[in-house]
Amino acid sequence: MSSKDEEMGKISHGMRLVFALSSVMFVAVLAVSPVKDLRREWKQSKRGYVRYAQTRFDTRRLLADYHPEIDQIWIPEMNVVDRCTTCHQGITEASLADPSVPQPFRSHPPIPHHVRDWGCSVCHRGQGAATEAAEAHETTLAWEQPLLPMRYIQASCGVCHRDTRPEAPLLNRGRQLLARLNCVGCHSLSGIERPTMLGPDLTNIGTKVRREWLYKWLKEPRTMVDSSGNVTVNGYESGQPRMPQFRLNEQELRDLSAYLSSLQGRPVEPYKFDPRVVAAWEKKPDLVDQGEMRFRQMFCSTCHSLAVTRAGETKLIGGDIGPELTKIGSKVNADWLAAWLRNPQAYLPLSEMPRYQWSDEDLYKVVHYITTKLTDPDLLSDVPALESPTPDEVRTGHRLFLEKGCAGCHSVQGISPQKDFGPELSNLGGKNVSQLEFGNSTIPRNLISYIQAKITDPLSVNRAARMPQYHLEEPDLAAITTALLSMTGTPSSAGLSKLIVPAPRPEFRPAGAFGELYQRYRCYACHRFNGFGSNLAPDLSFEGSRAQRKWIVEFLKNPQTLRPTLTFRMPQFNMTDREAGDIADYLAMVLQSPNVNLESVNSKEFTPQMAVLGKELYDVKYQCQACHTIGSSGGYVGPNLSNVGNWMNPAWIEEWLRHSQALVPGTIEPRRELTNQEVTALTAYLLTLRQAGQPKSAASTVAAAGGQ
Amino acid sequence: MRQRTLFLVLVFLLIASLPACRKKSVEAKTDPLLRAYDVETDPSDPQRVVPLNYQQAQGKRVFYRNCVWCHADATPAGPSNRSNLTPAPPLMNDGETFNSLSDEFLENTITLGGSAMGKSAMMPPWGRTLTHDEIVAVIAYIRATAQPPYQPPARPGLRYSAK
Repeated sequence: MSSKDEEMGKISHGMRLVFALSSVMFVAVLAVSPVKDLRREWKQSKRGYVRYAQTRFDTRRLLADYHPEIDQIWIPEMNVVDRCTTCHQGITEASLADPSVPQPFRSHPPIPHHVRDWGCSVCHRGQGAATEAAEAHETTLAWEQPLLPMRYIQASCGVCHRDTRPEAPLLNRGRQLLARLNCVGCHSLSGIERPTMLGPDLTNIGTKVRREWLYKWLKEPRTMVDSSGNVTVNGYESGQPRMPQFRLNEQELRDLSAYLSSLQGRPVEPYKFDPRVVAAWEKKPDLVDQGEMRFRQMFCSTCHSLAVTRAGETKLIGGDIGPELTKIGSKVNADWLAAWLRNPQAYLPLSEMPRYQWSDEDLYKVVHYITTKLTDPDLLSDVPALESPTPDEVRTGHRLFLEKGCAGCHSVQGISPQKDFGPELSNLGGKNVSQLEFGNSTIPRNLISYIQAKITDPLSVNRAARMPQYHLEEPDLAAITTALLSMTGTPSSAGLSKLIVPAPRPEFRPAGAFGELYQRYRCYACHRFNGFGSNLAPDLSFEGSRAQRKWIVEFLKNPQTLRPTLTFRMPQFNMTDREAGDIADYLAMVLQSPNVNLESVNSKEFTPQMAVLGKELYDVKYQCQACHTIGSSGGYVGPNLSNVGNWMNPAWIEEWLRHSQALVPGTIEPRRELTNQEVTALTAYLLTLRQAGQPKSAASTVAAAGGQ
Repeated sequence: MRQRTLFLVLVFLLIASLPACRKKSVEAKTDPLLRAYDVETDPSDPQRVVPLNYQQAQGKRVFYRNCVWCHADATPAGPSNRSNLTPAPPLMNDGETFNSLSDEFLENTITLGGSAMGKSAMMPPWGRTLTHDEIVAVIAYIRATAQPPYQPPARPGLRYSAK
């Protein structure tokens, strides 16, 4: 045995002290841990619930299935391990719904999915397996998914429900905006298909606008405002243009505007007005006023809006299907305008603008009105003098057009859009914070702030961002954020195959004479046919069952509003008798409801006694006048029934009274329990309501109101 | 030796105190808009924004589809039908009228129509047009927006004794 070994066997006094100290500490720590365990957050919450329940009148029911341990919802097929109900113990107790109940014991408001079947984190995100409130609700270093704020909770509906659910309006709006703002021009987004036309085709833009206008528009698509700062030249809904703002410098603006103004594939043939019309109208002092009246009579405002200043407040009035037109006269040249109005599809084949039946006189008046009245002399005053484009500028402009991604939305003959110009966004909504690039920005480190910064100020998170800047108002920004958060990329139910925003493809393509008129007047831009088209105007899928042929012809030639509350009106197309007849024939023959048999009701069998009984039912028992107008009295909700005897087919009226939702799903007419006798009596009465002669024309109404 | 002991004790204390380093939880955002499924602006006081939960938001949707035409002074389409009706229907946030009526009474009036409950026959029955859930949601919505605010009965039992 060496002396070294002996030394190791001996323990020095100092070492003994260390051991003694650490043993005491060890015992102390051991003793503390049960106490700490007893005071753990979730256990306190458990005990708190018992204490709270004991102060209430329904203690026994609330504590009927109380267990002191961790409560967990485990759904292996959805990867759900949620311990949220450990603290949120009253989540399914209806009696704890009141806001005065303290959290975390309040019950969940009623929703279609039961908590026990779906868990919590499927919708609310957060860390389901955590046992501390902070870890469950917020981002920590190890666990990255924070709770989704309630404002954006509809994103979770969209993770599984790819179809449009009326219960989630914000999500639906966001998906529509994603499609409408042409996000798919640069990014690929699952469920949103690339439409055939995103922005306008620019192949012939040089024949439509001047280089100065292009310069100004490219510089700031939002500066098309008057002194009050409200009005844009081209916009959607709130007056904001769809085109985002690209950050272009002076030279880039010059080059790009030079390139675009050099795009003049097909020069415009100036339309030769009948010289007699020109001679008759050229000198008339009321030419512009007449043009304005015609503009109003044709209900251009159904699709286009104009800025109107009333009592010092400037507002856009009119529809948003087409561009806003307040200063259009300073934008386009007059020859182009006349050619466009006569045949919009010759310039833009996919335009939804109908091809109107113009007389030379009307066209002359309206073109004059637009080019003299809808103008702003100061519009281009801040644009520097631009000479005719040099070949150098055009070449650089062409390069810029490709580099800036203009081709993503605007087609130009000979240029095809670059694939995957922007990053793929189909799984953006499921990303963790560590996967996001925040750059030098000071925004809070979470996905929602990132998305919103990226849309409203891309440079703040990425100095080299190519993405243009969007100016969205808060509700729209929230909607778009919601829609993007719903794109988590995970496969879900069978609904996945459905497109989120169906592509506007004309699936309903009638043939023959009607088909031609249908394309010419772009009926589907407002009406719906067998599920295809827009829902701005009534669904015409069953119009043949509803309306009498004679009435349809009259209506087409002179459209008038049927519902006093509607602001959008059918435009005056100036159809010929033959065209109106062709359309009415098709509607009456083909667009029939399988639920209505026109032969089943013979109006000759109605007796005056029936009509008397029907009037009594209408006036007293069912009080239909609450919503419908006859003559000059009644409500504004349903259509005016003053002329219903000339308008509707008796069989349709009977079927409508029995079950209106079966004929037009979602219609608000309340379904009532009518006996067969009552149905017949009401129909007999309604058929007696006829207006003799021509109904008051919409045109003359507007003409009378035109001076206001 | 002394130094080593001291060092060991220090290391031990350091390790023991590590759990205390956990980050303090940050106060949750107080923006009321972020905590609601949907919101509704009080028509009589544009400054007051009412947060709505899922059920109330569904009620809002049904209200704006079916009821707004007569139970509000302005509709999405502009003018209201309310002025055409006698007696004038109560506004949807009219707490003075609705707060004293029980949920059951409102549910019956909506389902069966005004005439069934001794009210104006101009109020049509919606029981065959709206689902039960939709009707309950509308009631939840008008309760949420009521002005003066609605106080639910203290005990569920009381709901059956009011009016």
